[in-house]
Amino acid sequence: MPTPHAFSALQAFVSATLYSAVPLSIAAMGGILSERAGVVNIALEGLMLTGAFVGIVAGQSSALFGLAAALFAGGLLGLLHAFLTQKTRMNHVVSGLGINLLAAGVTRYLAIRLFPNGLHIDGLPGSLFLLLAVLLPVVVALMLSRTQFGLRLRAVGENPESARMAGVSPTLPRYVAVTLSGVFAALSGAYLSMADAHTFSSNMSAGKGYIALAAVIFGKWTPVGAALGALFFGFFYALETQLQISGIHLTLLGIEWTSPFLLDMLPYLMTLAALVSVIGRATPPAALGQEE
Amino acid sequence: MNGRLLKTGRLLRPLFAIVCGLGIAALVMQLSGYNVREAYSALFTGATGIEPGAARGASQIALGTLPVFSRPYHLNTFLLAQSLAKSTPLLFCGLAIALGLRAGLFNIGAQGQMTVGALAAAFVGQWGIGKGDSGTFPPLLHITLVLMAGAAAGALWGALPGLLKAYRGVHEVIATIMLNYVAINATTYFVTHTLKDPNSAAAQSARIAKSAWLAPFVAGSNLTAGFLLALLAAAALAFLIGRTSLGFRIRAVGMGADAAAAAGISVPRTLIVTMALSGALAGLAGGVEVVGVQHRFIQGIASNYGYDGIAVALLGGLGGGGVGLSALFFGALSSGAAHMQTLTDVPDSIAVIVQAIVIIFVGVRYIRRNKRNRGTFNLDEMQPSGSGIGSGKAV
Repeated sequence: MPTPHAFSALQAFVSATLYSAVPLSIAAMGGILSERAGVVNIALEGLMLTGAFVGIVAGQSSALFGLAAALFAGGLLGLLHAFLTQKTRMNHVVSGLGINLLAAGVTRYLAIRLFPNGLHIDGLPGSLFLLLAVLLPVVVALMLSRTQFGLRLRAVGENPESARMAGVSPTLPRYVAVTLSGVFAALSGAYLSMADAHTFSSNMSAGKGYIALAAVIFGKWTPVGAALGALFFGFFYALETQLQISGIHLTLLGIEWTSPFLLDMLPYLMTLAALVSVIGRATPPAALGQEE
Repeated sequence: MNGRLLKTGRLLRPLFAIVCGLGIAALVMQLSGYNVREAYSALFTGATGIEPGAARGASQIALGTLPVFSRPYHLNTFLLAQSLAKSTPLLFCGLAIALGLRAGLFNIGAQGQMTVGALAAAFVGQWGIGKGDSGTFPPLLHITLVLMAGAAAGALWGALPGLLKAYRGVHEVIATIMLNYVAINATTYFVTHTLKDPNSAAAQSARIAKSAWLAPFVAGSNLTAGFLLALLAAAALAFLIGRTSLGFRIRAVGMGADAAAAAGISVPRTLIVTMALSGALAGLAGGVEVVGVQHRFIQGIASNYGYDGIAVALLGGLGGGGVGLSALFFGALSSGAAHMQTLTDVPDSIAVIVQAIVIIFVGVRYIRRNKRNRGTFNLDEMQPSGSGIGSGKAV
């Protein structure tokens, strides 16, 4: 029989896993929409940071207004990514890097200017975001597989030329998908600042946008797969925290396997393994990142 | 097309991007209530070392009274040296990324390659260490060995995504992003365990032997012969790309893998060699940072140089000379922004904003160039037809 103490520890561990997965899962849905439409989106990181910042600043009097403003800002920046990659035909990676830098620079600059001593927010309950992190993958999966828009989105991501011949212009689905991807990434960022940290600190996304991208690849560009990938990565975060709290060290063959630095490597190594088909090949949308 | 016209065009567009970046940043500062003139004059001083006032001390050189400003100016050699020192890793990383782009490879992994290069350099730097960090190796030999170790480690870390791309069709952007995080965590693991500095709680290695230290040109500054080495690397890259058969193969693969393969060029081999050379350049950045600046490996030693190198390469137009100028600009910008923050309280992240705007404007530039059919390279051709990210085909 497990003791009540062990039970509550397990409960805490499961909760830590779930909440670590929340921002990854939500941002990954943004990544999926963009990439399935054929637009590489390494801007997730900057879009998250923007959402985190705007949510805090605009949410001072009303948290829901802050959330709405964050989503709007994310959508706007997503639209910029769509414009740069589609209209000016900028390389997708260059545009993504530019947006990431812009977000990092502007949010840090404004944070120092507006609230050098930090800014607290009561914010929103984490459970709201947990619910969204569970629902969104299902909604996105249904949208991709069951709706006409989803079909078009996949068509322009796999073969824009055929889509065009079938009378579907790649432009509109891509604009919508990339803009929505900004909204989702900002939602994920708003979780970080409004529900998790209750404040903003510069570069608080700390690479989570890239891990979300890893979850997309790990989940083979499918919504449910990516959500499970996010859960899997979340499990390692929770494990790492738990190991640090409990002070457990496991050293074998001269290597300390419980080191947080080694555990932090796992999501990236597993994503690489997925790409080289060690654990089932991950194949991206055929026209991803290509100019027409 | 007139050759001179092409030259001015190639210079005008980056300058336009820079002016837009500085202009928009000025607008941001104005709107947020800072004194733009004060901020930019402090930034200029930090970037170039040119300061108002009479020269004082040995490190300041009088410039006399400049005609327009009717007041005496002097050159603060320390500030100029710091500015050039900042350009050094940027130049190495910019060259690394430019080389990759020539072969159509977007090496986002300079950050990781620089980091592993720095760790290998710090490891070899401890060879023959004696009392008070004195070294038993002849300095020139030791420094050479340390830099070679940095380059070799960077080359290996770069060749890995090259291999994955060539034989498994894994897109290098994704592979290098993942490998960056692996590198940063793995090196931190080493300097918190086996290679840990026994005298400190920080995540850093012990100091390297003094025989592997590069002396600064200006006392107290970080400017060393590493800067000259970076300039040499820029010249070497220009020679490699323009004058050697490997350079020809790299360019051929960059312009179209299918055509290059049809012409009998081994595309997989070219991709791997390019990535290894690119990684070696980034690894050298790490090595120079160890022998010239930190004298040990510290967590976060690559700062953001690997990613900043992307802006350096894009602004510089992928040529040795252009990347050199571009690295000088970004080094000066970053060094100037730090000076500006000290003097005027304007956050130095204004430099990041300028960099972002420059990247975006330069990125658009390539499209224009393509439409007018100018130049030999454009970013649109970076993904050879039929090679989507990680597509099943080898190239």
